[in-house]
Amino acid sequence: MYQFRRILKMDLVNLFTNPMWLFYTTAFPFALTLIFGFLAKGSYSDNITSYDFYGITTMIYSALNAGTLAANSFMEKDIKGPNMRLIYAPVPSFAIYFPKIIATVIFTTVCYTAVALLLRVTVHVNFGETNTVYLWLLMILVEIFAASFSVMLCCVLKTEAAVNQILSFAITLMTLLGGVFFPVDGLGKAVTAVSNLSPVKWVALSAFQIIYDGKFTLLLPACIILAVVSVICILFSTKFFKTEDFV
Amino acid sequence: MEAILSIKNLEKSYQAKKVIKDLSFDVHKGEILCILGPNGAGKSTTLNILTGVLNYEDGMFQSKGKNVHDHLRLFKKRLGIVPQDIALYEELSAEQNIKFFASLYGLKGNALSTSCNQALEFAGLSERRKDKVKTYSGGMKRRLNIACAIAHQPEILILDEPTVGIDPQSRNHILSSIKELRNKGMTIIYTTHYMEEVEEISTRIIIMDGGRIVASGKKEELKEHVNEERLYHIDVDHTEGINEKEFYHIEGVKHVSISASQVELATLKSVENLDRIISVFIQNKVKINSISCESTSLETVFLRLTGKSLRD
Ligand SMILES: Nc1ncnc2c1ncn2[C@@H]1O[C@H](COP(=O)(O)OP(=O)(O)OP(=O)(O)O)[C@@H](O)[C@H]1O
Ligand SMILES: [Mg+2]
Repeated sequence: MYQFRRILKMDLVNLFTNPMWLFYTTAFPFALTLIFGFLAKGSYSDNITSYDFYGITTMIYSALNAGTLAANSFMEKDIKGPNMRLIYAPVPSFAIYFPKIIATVIFTTVCYTAVALLLRVTVHVNFGETNTVYLWLLMILVEIFAASFSVMLCCVLKTEAAVNQILSFAITLMTLLGGVFFPVDGLGKAVTAVSNLSPVKWVALSAFQIIYDGKFTLLLPACIILAVVSVICILFSTKFFKTEDFV
Repeated sequence: MEAILSIKNLEKSYQAKKVIKDLSFDVHKGEILCILGPNGAGKSTTLNILTGVLNYEDGMFQSKGKNVHDHLRLFKKRLGIVPQDIALYEELSAEQNIKFFASLYGLKGNALSTSCNQALEFAGLSERRKDKVKTYSGGMKRRLNIACAIAHQPEILILDEPTVGIDPQSRNHILSSIKELRNKGMTIIYTTHYMEEVEEISTRIIIMDGGRIVASGKKEELKEHVNEERLYHIDVDHTEGINEKEFYHIEGVKHVSISASQVELATLKSVENLDRIISVFIQNKVKINSISCESTSLETVFLRLTGKSLRD
């Protein structure tokens, strides 16, 4: 357990001391919300402003990007070498990959909370007021899911480049199909049907339900599905992680 | 001497390619065992098997009579490993790196600080302990790479080419520290491409080629192996028309290699045959520019055994 804590701490240090990742998790989502919000200003009402909408969708998109961060904290070229030194150490395998998931979730949660506060203050994005906790629960579960999924990919594919390509493709596809950045409902029945398959759409619906209706009917199933899939990913990581793939 | 590690009939393949073939050797307590071999000989693969992280298809790997893979974590605790590529967190300081890696071996609190200080001292990096690794020179990084593997005071230290691409000063530092560690009772396994290093620090040598051991023993023993022979370098105008076979017909000739303007011959010391060798050149109307006779070095032993020079 002591070794586990030391590794987790090291993973956190690696994330928090990397300027590029800090930028990616703070300035980037902040700017994205402002730009989209500004461009779409005219097509939204005063009840739900364009900033309200894009504030939430950007958060979901960013939460998914926790996957990219997890892959990086595992195998990014500068830290892959020293990370791989862990395989020689007398620590159990799960102490090598599991802390990457926890560290990523802590890191992204801290950064995105800061971004949310900033958005709240500057453009008054509505994050659900008294229900913010539930919204955050949902976001954290999305992060856990994204990080576990990507760590599993790392264990299976062994190279960061391949994992990053797959992730960025999957995240972009799910986000676009989910219609959270650009509405897809006008593109015909087929697209709408496909859109319903995108988990991003359901997460977004659940988020808006929490914020504007104060209802949680979608939250519970969303959380359960995300949690179950995460556990499955972690189990697969356990199965696929072999020290000898990394020497 | 007591064997603390023992490998028997080991086989290892990558995909369909066999890279370790029927490998057997022991490692004895307190020795500095050098594994020598050309690129791709299987040195790193052998070391990685010794660290317990790399599996193999066939054979046995034991430590003190017990199967290593049955007690892997306990076994790993006894090792210190210096990987071939520098493996350090560049954004952190030397001290943070050493402390982190040593803590993985269970060190904490005062014991951790003390061992970290010793390791820094050992690597000659005490003064730069707080500086980020990315500001270090290549030689300093190499030294730190070793320091990170010894802070927890392992019983066995495994180093994969720890002196690649560094200045003579850092190299001397590293070599003398390795000897010092041995004097303190550590067992050391070491791969390198540099013959001088082997001459200087090894207590025993294993020469590998193509995944096999082609020779092993103390350096004197290895030299003895080729000492019954002498090596002639014959510089000539050209070597056209000269056939190896003509030399092999001469009594005592053991090895011939012919290049554009030089012929190398290994021949038994006990046979007087230089006149017959020279007559081959005369018959072929080849002008001899010079003849030199070389005493055996490890380099020649290596060349003879593997047919390759150590560095490409
Ligand atoms: N992960 C791998 N996948 C496939 N083949 C490999 C792998 N690692 C090593 N090999 C092959 O195994 C053989 C032995 O490699 P190894 O790295 O052990 O050689 P080496 O003696 O350490 O060489 P060098 O002096 O260049 O470090 C080589 O032919 C190499 O191509
Ligand atoms: Mg090697």
